[in-house]
Amino acid sequence: MSAVDAPRLPEASVRSGRPGRARFFRSELRFFRSELKLVFGRRRNQAGMAALAAVPVIIAIAVRVTEGPTETGQDPGFFSAISGNGFFVALAALGAELGLFLPIAVAAISGDSVAGEANLGTLRYLLTVPVGRTRLLAVKYGAVVVFSATVTLLVAAVGLAAGLLLFGGGPVTLLSGAQVSLAEGLLRLLGVCAYLTVGLCALGAVGLFVSTLTEQPMGATIATTMLSVTSFVLDSIPQLDWLHPYLLTHYWSAFVELLRDPVALDALRPGLLSALAYGVVFLTAAWARFGGRDVSN
Amino acid sequence: MSVLQSRPALRWLVPTGAALAIIGGGAAVGTFASAAEPNLPERSAAQLLVDLQTAHLDGLSGTVIKRADLGLPSLPGIGGRGSAELTSLVSGTHTLRVWHAGPDQTRVALLGTLGETDVIRNGKDVWIWDSQANKAQHTTLDESGPTGRPDHLPTTPQEAAEQALAAVDPSTEVRVGRSASVAGRDVYELVLEPRDATSLVGQITIAIDAVEHVPLRFQVVPQGTSKPAFEVAFTRVDFERPDPAQFAFNPPPGAVVTEGTRPEGRPALPTGVEQPTVVGSGWTSVLAAKVPQLAGTTNAETDGAEANLLRGLLGGLPEVNGEWGSGRLVTGKLFTALLTDDGKVFVGAVKPERLYEVAQSNR
Repeated sequence: MSAVDAPRLPEASVRSGRPGRARFFRSELRFFRSELKLVFGRRRNQAGMAALAAVPVIIAIAVRVTEGPTETGQDPGFFSAISGNGFFVALAALGAELGLFLPIAVAAISGDSVAGEANLGTLRYLLTVPVGRTRLLAVKYGAVVVFSATVTLLVAAVGLAAGLLLFGGGPVTLLSGAQVSLAEGLLRLLGVCAYLTVGLCALGAVGLFVSTLTEQPMGATIATTMLSVTSFVLDSIPQLDWLHPYLLTHYWSAFVELLRDPVALDALRPGLLSALAYGVVFLTAAWARFGGRDVSN
Repeated sequence: MSVLQSRPALRWLVPTGAALAIIGGGAAVGTFASAAEPNLPERSAAQLLVDLQTAHLDGLSGTVIKRADLGLPSLPGIGGRGSAELTSLVSGTHTLRVWHAGPDQTRVALLGTLGETDVIRNGKDVWIWDSQANKAQHTTLDESGPTGRPDHLPTTPQEAAEQALAAVDPSTEVRVGRSASVAGRDVYELVLEPRDATSLVGQITIAIDAVEHVPLRFQVVPQGTSKPAFEVAFTRVDFERPDPAQFAFNPPPGAVVTEGTRPEGRPALPTGVEQPTVVGSGWTSVLAAKVPQLAGTTNAETDGAEANLLRGLLGGLPEVNGEWGSGRLVTGKLFTALLTDDGKVFVGAVKPERLYEVAQSNR
């Protein structure tokens, strides 16, 4: 294990007495930064992010190589538009990775967040210094949020770069057949990333809760991934349509609403509310579980 | 905090409370929305019908949800959520967005999970845009030409209501139901009830906006239930005149554009099939057709993949027989179909007994 896995002592909080507000924030920031360094510094996380970033490159190259009139009546999502405009590589990649890759990445980070420390035996040390357990959870979840946003933007950015390089850019044709400038297209892509990040953060909240249940980070990661996959599977069974609105992943595909003209923002609201509901319930559940748990390792 | 530290189990009250509040809150919003019965001045059914016909609609835009639960066996490739194909409208749940600015400017967008089909009418131009196939079809209308609607399925409450009202005749009891709220607006409910007991339609309700006199919801409720089998309803509606830019369509570069020729007349029937006839009138009319190819497919007389497939499909249907002969019965929530062994087909929104009656007289 590398050096960053060593127990990290947020030294500012060790000092007794009442720290000033500024100092409190500084110590908070330092703790958060050290957590980010842990998440983004790990070799396995970097490898995972590289794999995520490879998908848009593969898509772009594959479409470039097989370019030509493809007689496909049904397009799984934005693929046929790629050869006309590289912009769509980003969307095709996001759409392709949303089903499994992005959820796995978020599940790995959030599942590892508490269980990983417990497994390594570092959780005990973290808690011997007066780091509040609530504070520890907040920092852990903060890192999950940053990671979710980073991987989403990473996939979009790599897709965009690969697409523009291989196919060039230009005005973006929306689903409604209208065209907008590339700049507005980029703005909409940013909106898509933000919306997907919110959905992934809800999954991250579930993962954080599962992570407080166990000391096996792999178990937590697999359980969280299974949950997201199960949610996708249930969502595709038409006989269960009464259940669909309650599924974690049901509204994720609503990101395409941002690619219609005009954009109906109220179509995004159920997805955001659903993510908020999942977030609140599972974050408080993680807090309840972690606060009352005996930490022996 | 100290209580929480000494009794950690109490912490669980927070997530449990949050979950209950969210579920309860969601349920309460739904219940209040459906239970709210706005206080509206009384209006007779005739007044409502006149309101409907004289409604002057300057403009409208909104979101429409269409649900069809006809009790059909689910067929592969037809219907379902998320499909943006117009033919998929026959079953499943679909979301449509509509814009309307006078009779010659309308746009209907059928939203799919990863695509969209638009039917846009702007003056004489009608465009049908299919984002997944990247195809645009253009049709120019004659002065008095019908709209370029590709099929006869109602896509907006207006159309649905018009089709239903056209069917009103002495066979129907028309009354005013309770007032309700649709898409946040107060509505009157016009209820049409078939008088004939052999009809499968229990009632048709049309919710009419109390101020704008525009239908906002259309439901078909089968007999013996209160759950609609077919519903077209606004979930959001705005009576502002939409931006004219909504109706301007320029096919994007790269799209396949076809100059559409409207299909003339009816699609040709397969050879050997006679033009179907309608028996009876009103709610209990029955469509009768002869399809000789069907005869014998239920037995193992004919060969070939097609016959095998057909046999497989038909083999699962319940066998019925009577004085009229024997055959197989398809029952949905709003229709019944009888396929006789001698190659006749009877279809109607009626109970099977009525079909047997027609089959008997058509021997």
